[in-house]
Amino acid sequence: MHALLGENGAGKSTLMNVLLGLVRPDGGALQVAGESIDWRRWSPAEAARRGVGMVHQHSSLVPAMNAVENLCFGGVEGPWLFSPEAERVRVAALAERFGLGVPLDRPVDDLSPGERQRAEILRALARGARLLVLDEPTSVLTPGESEHLFASLRRMRDEGRAVIFISHKLDEVEAIADRVTVLRRGVSVATRDARGTDARELGRLMLGADLPPLERSAARRFGPVRLGIRGLSAPGSSEAGRLRAIELAVRGGEVVGVAGIDGNGQRELEEVLAGVRAPSSGRIEVDGRSVSPDVRSLRAAGLAHLSGDRERAGLVPGFTLAENLVLKGSYDDSRFFPRGVLDLAAARAAARRVAERYAIRPPDPDLDIRSLSGGNAQKLAVARELEGEPAALVAVNPTRGLDVGSARFVHSQLLAVAAAGSAVLLVSTELEEVLSLADRVVALVRGGIVPVPEGSDAAAIGAILLGRSAA
Amino acid sequence: MEALLEAALRLAAPLLIAALGELVVERGGVINIGIEGTMLIGAFAGFAVATATGSAAVGVVGAGAAGCAVGAVFATATFAARIDQIVSGMAINLLALGVTGLGARALWAGAPPTPPLVEPFPIPVLSSLPVVGRALFQQSPYVYGGVLLAAVLGFGLARTRTGLRLRAVGESARAADAEGVPVLRFRVVAVLTGATLAGIAGSSLSLALSDTFSEGMTAGRGFIALAVVIFGRWSAWGGLAAALFFGAATALQFRLQARGLGIPYPVFLMFPYLVTLAVLAFATGRARSPADLGQAYVREGG
Amino acid sequence: MSERLLRVTLSAAGRAGLAALIGVGVVACVLAVLGYEPGPALAALVSGSMGSGAAWTATALKATPLLFTGLAVTIAFRCGVWNIGAEGQLLFGALCATAVATRIAPGAPGLALVPGLALAAAAGGALLGAIAGVLKARRGVSEVISTILLNFVAIQLVALAVQGPLQESAGAYPKSDPFPPAAMLPAWGRVHLGLGVALASAFAAYALVFRSAFGFRVRAVGLSARAARFAGISPERTALAALALSGALAGLAGGVEVSGVTGQLFQGLSPGTGYTAIAVALLARLHPIAVIPAAFFFGALEAGAGAMQRAAGVPAVATQIVQAVVILVSVGLAFGRRAAPELDPELVGEGPS
Repeated sequence: MHALLGENGAGKSTLMNVLLGLVRPDGGALQVAGESIDWRRWSPAEAARRGVGMVHQHSSLVPAMNAVENLCFGGVEGPWLFSPEAERVRVAALAERFGLGVPLDRPVDDLSPGERQRAEILRALARGARLLVLDEPTSVLTPGESEHLFASLRRMRDEGRAVIFISHKLDEVEAIADRVTVLRRGVSVATRDARGTDARELGRLMLGADLPPLERSAARRFGPVRLGIRGLSAPGSSEAGRLRAIELAVRGGEVVGVAGIDGNGQRELEEVLAGVRAPSSGRIEVDGRSVSPDVRSLRAAGLAHLSGDRERAGLVPGFTLAENLVLKGSYDDSRFFPRGVLDLAAARAAARRVAERYAIRPPDPDLDIRSLSGGNAQKLAVARELEGEPAALVAVNPTRGLDVGSARFVHSQLLAVAAAGSAVLLVSTELEEVLSLADRVVALVRGGIVPVPEGSDAAAIGAILLGRSAA
Repeated sequence: MEALLEAALRLAAPLLIAALGELVVERGGVINIGIEGTMLIGAFAGFAVATATGSAAVGVVGAGAAGCAVGAVFATATFAARIDQIVSGMAINLLALGVTGLGARALWAGAPPTPPLVEPFPIPVLSSLPVVGRALFQQSPYVYGGVLLAAVLGFGLARTRTGLRLRAVGESARAADAEGVPVLRFRVVAVLTGATLAGIAGSSLSLALSDTFSEGMTAGRGFIALAVVIFGRWSAWGGLAAALFFGAATALQFRLQARGLGIPYPVFLMFPYLVTLAVLAFATGRARSPADLGQAYVREGG
Repeated sequence: MSERLLRVTLSAAGRAGLAALIGVGVVACVLAVLGYEPGPALAALVSGSMGSGAAWTATALKATPLLFTGLAVTIAFRCGVWNIGAEGQLLFGALCATAVATRIAPGAPGLALVPGLALAAAAGGALLGAIAGVLKARRGVSEVISTILLNFVAIQLVALAVQGPLQESAGAYPKSDPFPPAAMLPAWGRVHLGLGVALASAFAAYALVFRSAFGFRVRAVGLSARAARFAGISPERTALAALALSGALAGLAGGVEVSGVTGQLFQGLSPGTGYTAIAVALLARLHPIAVIPAAFFFGALEAGAGAMQRAAGVPAVATQIVQAVVILVSVGLAFGRRAAPELDPELVGEGPS
């Protein structure tokens, strides 16, 4: 039972994709079951034949079919005449053997994430997988289901199979791994025996020792609280994403960084703050006043939203620079939509000004935004959100996919708007980004906020992100 | 009563066969609204071949082949030229109207000959049963064929590996592809099969239900077949029931028209569509269409 | 006009022209294969549609409903919604107009009656469009299916009307009373006001789609419902409004047909105008102004088809082949890009994630 540990972007998924035949490596060797692999012949079908089975984080089962049907349609083994009853018996026996109880007759769509995952594992086993690869298996499970899963995995291991699981949770590693390998920036940093390795050691290996310790910005004066998130709870796409009574207060001029590994509620938090997902309880307060959690009200109250994902940022592919610049104002912005009419000339003039000020290339207001590089498109989004001096800015992974120069630009803009008095909430899965910009850091772990003490070094932060409070 | 049942079955046959063909297509995730045009071409081709060769059976085969050719055109437009399925379907309908209209005039100059017909034949013993004997067991081969087809498809979809894989392709092409199912091949074969069946269904219009060919004689039956698929909740037996329903409504309509009852018959004609709309609006859960219906599948770059 | 805009317009016009030419070319080939003489046929087609004042009139009359319905389809497609129901919306609009003109207010003066029946026609079409829109927004019913089904319902509603409540006083045939003169559109010869209204509508539609806040939202939703949602636009509401507006335009086409051309409601009023409208919209690449030449092209085809049949013995249905080829070529020439922007599947009830 081998755990693969690493931050976002460390290369865990890529490595597994190579193992599964989905990605061709530039070099190196692979041995499966004692045999060296010829890369030219390696493919998902070939990998499956050699007994490598994958359980994805996001289900690749057919939602409308039940578990039995899902197990049977792939692969070439089995009779052409398909007897649902006979197959059901076969699958039930398999499930029994490994303790993977799954309702077999309901469509997979109706099953809980834990049951769906068990069905996927069953499918891999039914194909004869000797090596099972699981990608963040417990991210969709409740603690009880995780226990259940571990028990099944142990049974597989005891039968002589091997399991690799990708994780960023220390308690998992401690609970079931025999060995753990840490990846950082595409390099395998260390392989340790899982017993007797401590959290700080792993955290240090995962993040590297060269991050500066966190220091609170000295004696900077911050204004009153401008963005208040009080007891915010929201349903999540997964168990780990469910927001649990989030409390955050950001003062004017302050940058609060929310660190975390992807899949711990960042998407849900972003959607609630953007006004696109309804919270189940709690309040959002801007400048002390509670605001209705929908897009227009939040924007009217002065809450701006910047995202690294173009569509989540509200950039419409196929619209021009000018059109995207004024996109959010079609209901109420009389500068560009006087009396319900689009003033294209005004929009284009504004776009030209913005392009010049922010050095957007090419500075053509009528250019389709799809033709712009990531950096330039993000500059437009920045210009749109920051102009008008928002009371608060929520920036979520704002530099995702950007080159160094563009990233640096975005960072400088974030700091500038904070210096001008806005409250900035930076949610990012890039720890370095958070540490370099934030005055204060908290961690988002399993949908809840965990404080990060001042003076924490990389190891301590790593441990927190892994689910363990700093020693 | 007996005559009504007989008429209902007879009128339902073209709907049933075309709908079963479209069922295969839609279960594979493709929506072909060009069945209307394909049926028309089937009616034309079947008629032409039958009168030319003097054999109704050869005519039916010709109709199927013509339908398959139309299916090939649809497949090329949709999968090769990446034209949207709805657009391709509409184009097929228009094309069919034009080609058959021109062809009919060219071949028969407005006076089509009488073709050899596809005659109903009795099933021995069973056809002597009282009450239902004649209605059920002395029917057109299209009726027998349609019912048989329903049984075969019902079985095939649920209990063969091919059927299972077709369903997977229609529900989630991505998942099917990940499991190694050749998505494109399945869809093309499904389209060709559906179009062939639509062609055969069309031939019943000119070789059984009537004995002539006239422009646009499908009169919307292809669209009704689309409704039959939906109304039958994308299952073969459901399709059979739905086709019978529509057939009965039509038979009833003729009857009542003769009888001069109070209910105007446009109401009857409207009824099946309204019911289908209602079923669509209020169906819950599993009665949804195949999840990937109408979505073109392009494998994402590795 | 900026240089780039000119270039884009010319290239689009060029491709449309190419599609039209290929369409006519294919038909010529088919005719030759079947033993007809393509030369005289095409000549009759041209002279019957553009060769004389009467020909131009016929073309204009055929183009008018195609203009309205082409605009209807264009607006819906721009929002990512497939409105295949323009045919039914047209018929129901004609029904409503007839009800106003012959039953509800036959004695009213023209100044009130004509706008009144036009309004009724638009409202009727909008209702049908809205039904499909609500079914999609609330219940996830594909608008392709629902609008096709509603077409059939509308056909039967017209039949029901002219055999019943709207039937002529003589009670002999299934058609309505003739419209009172006050209900007829003012005309010059045979060319009626409807043409002018249609042309004006094209410009109005252009202004709406490209110059109004509503049109802005329609386009945004059609291009990316997800991004639009994050920008505060509701894809569900926008699509519903687009379908209702689309239906209104198609309904207006029906009202204009009965009060400008036929003066009466009867079964078989529309020769598939609502379906041809799809070809019109696609040829025009969903641009309201381009719908004008596209509608005239198909109107000319329809007008010339009659002459072609009389003079050269070629059945009028040959023009359907042109329509089909034009659709395939003009969409295919967009090099794999979709004809109508696809509305995000997440639109219906699944929410963002």
